[in-house]
Amino acid sequence: MSLVEVLASIVFYPPIYQLVIVGLIVTLGVVIIILWFERKATARVQRRLGPYHVAPKLAGMPQLLADLLRYAFQEIIIPRTVDRGVFITAPIIATVLSILPIAVVPFTSIPDYWPIPMDYSVLVALAISTVSPIFLVLAGWASNNKFSIIGGVREAFIITAYELIAILSILSVSAATLSFNFIDIVNAQMNTAWFIILNPIAFMAAFLAVLMSTSGFPFEIPESENEVVAGPFTEYSGILYGLNMGAAYMKRFAFSIILAVAFLGGWSPLTPGEGILYGYLLPSIVVIIKAFILMMVFSFLRSVYGRYRLDQALQGAWRLVFPMALIGFGIGIIEAYLGLT
Amino acid sequence: MSVSVIGGPKRESDLKIPGTEVRKIEKDLYEVFIGPQHPGSGHMRIIIRVDGDVIVEADPDMGYVHRTMEKLGEIRQYIKNIPLFERMAIQDACNVTVPYVLALEKILDIEPPQRAKYLRSLLCEINRIAAHLYGFGIFGVFIGHSTMYMWAFADREVMVELAEKLTGARLTHSYPIPGGARRDMPQDFPQAARKAARYMRRRLEEYRKIFLDNPVMKARMEGVGYIPKKLAAELGVVGPVARASGIKYDARYNDPYDAYDEVDFEIPVFEEGDALARAWVKVEEIKQSLRIIEQAVDWLESHTSEAPIHDKFWAKSPPLWKKVFEKEGRVKLLPMMATMKIPPGKAFARGETARGEIVYYVESTGDSIPYRVRIVSPSARNAIVFKYVVPGHRVMDLPTIYGSIDYFPPEADR
Repeated sequence: MSLVEVLASIVFYPPIYQLVIVGLIVTLGVVIIILWFERKATARVQRRLGPYHVAPKLAGMPQLLADLLRYAFQEIIIPRTVDRGVFITAPIIATVLSILPIAVVPFTSIPDYWPIPMDYSVLVALAISTVSPIFLVLAGWASNNKFSIIGGVREAFIITAYELIAILSILSVSAATLSFNFIDIVNAQMNTAWFIILNPIAFMAAFLAVLMSTSGFPFEIPESENEVVAGPFTEYSGILYGLNMGAAYMKRFAFSIILAVAFLGGWSPLTPGEGILYGYLLPSIVVIIKAFILMMVFSFLRSVYGRYRLDQALQGAWRLVFPMALIGFGIGIIEAYLGLT
Repeated sequence: MSVSVIGGPKRESDLKIPGTEVRKIEKDLYEVFIGPQHPGSGHMRIIIRVDGDVIVEADPDMGYVHRTMEKLGEIRQYIKNIPLFERMAIQDACNVTVPYVLALEKILDIEPPQRAKYLRSLLCEINRIAAHLYGFGIFGVFIGHSTMYMWAFADREVMVELAEKLTGARLTHSYPIPGGARRDMPQDFPQAARKAARYMRRRLEEYRKIFLDNPVMKARMEGVGYIPKKLAAELGVVGPVARASGIKYDARYNDPYDAYDEVDFEIPVFEEGDALARAWVKVEEIKQSLRIIEQAVDWLESHTSEAPIHDKFWAKSPPLWKKVFEKEGRVKLLPMMATMKIPPGKAFARGETARGEIVYYVESTGDSIPYRVRIVSPSARNAIVFKYVVPGHRVMDLPTIYGSIDYFPPEADR
């Protein structure tokens, strides 16, 4: 074995590839690029330049690296009145949990390249994704600050509203394919059509649920600056604040990957072949590109909408999006009954 | 283990420092202090008590930017008060100083030349648009719409540059003086003004599309901060807040000053009385201001240029002053004006700023400094809305109401 092969076998060892390479490095890169895109796109709509001063030839891209470095080396101020242990660990656990769903989503149909071979990957991915918001509520509670507590309570309200919608609408795909396995779901989409076409209502519901879960506009309610300063993160500074803010984007990326696999056909135009390159690397790149496009759509909404009021968002979620998710689930069952998939 | 905070109270008896008393609040209520160090409060503090998500009590705590304008006004010469009073509302500089100048003119018993009246009204309307756009931008960012914020502040630049062309200063123009105005209109001003008016009309249509008719923003504004006509009259609110509640009251219309009795304009009045109506009033007022600007520019263009200052002062000016005016269109301030003594008397004058009616009462004892200058600014009169309209709304409605009444602390605190 040559050195390249040894390296490749280490890098593309599925748990390492999906947890470290995609889960940490690619996610960080995507978050940075998407933040840059968000700033630039918003600036274009608002007739400004956006980030510019750091390397104008790269359209200000290194500005985000500078921001990241600033967060990394800023002093972390921990107020005396906070619950120290929870205050420090909550954002770290929330960040880890928000990227963990990537570990169970397969990027290819070749069994050799599944990190954890199992038949219930959809359920496990959704289950992991529901844990991280609890730590945001905890972070708000541990801060012992009125704005943090109000922000935490808002977060809790929003969780109850979106969680069921997210699970139901993504499970509608399982209902249609009679399987909890992402591989079967992608194969079914490759045989017929993507679920965004077969079941657009479920996709819309899932899209809105992801938007709510990651505080994207128009649902940027827990961190709404004009009433609760920074919501649960009011007392945070330095890298802990950076983690809190980054966690939302990382979670959005993890959800985008789930949506890309469940609704946008996964690695669809590509049929995974033999070897690492065709069997693992290229399919995973296709999935990441699809997730990235979804992220861009999420980000663009910032320049169009303001934020809903909390009660309006909850009302919309329960009265409009929840029935949408139920209808989507029904459509999934009907499709399975008719044998469309 | 006892926790001691450096500089903080150690015993309960130490808590009796004025302003830090422990106050009892009802059970199940949560008291939140919004401001003065808060991204959504401005230079003030709003103490709200919430039951769940609903505000049951709101207490505006004003005065954080009190600058003793009235007292400072008593130790400066009359003319030096103009740049001082401008600082109340920088974006609205001409509107807040014109009534002061009107009051002085009443005591002096002089009438400025027609050209000066038109010039002042022209700048007043430019300022009004700039102030409305400023308010719009703040309103937008308060309810999370950053695009409205950036657009309004960018378009305000057009008006600020127009004002610069006319007066030579972007802000704090110190333009009106007793007996006239400081500068005549430059040659190329009419074209610039008409171009700006065309541009502004086009932009207002875009504002409607992205902000006023945006379903999310409409849901936030509709029915929020509803002030019925009767309540508006009882609270004594002024300006766009009153006009959005169906009260047709505008100092330009009820008590015309300067050129307002000669130009043709309407007072937009809405009946709904909510935040959305207040936003629409501002849009309609910008349209009317553009009409006034165009009419004023037409008038100024069709009449021959003359020094826009009363003959009482102009006749005494040395030849150099006249040469400067012919060359630059600038009225050089007479030295006698700085130490000008105003005959004994009292005068009361009012004008309409972007945020509502401003009232000046000037009393002179024949000295070169006023005996008393009393100012009642529109924001001070609108602040009462926080106390009586906010309770019953949700916490997230507070910025909506704040932004929609366009409350401006530096102006209210004086």
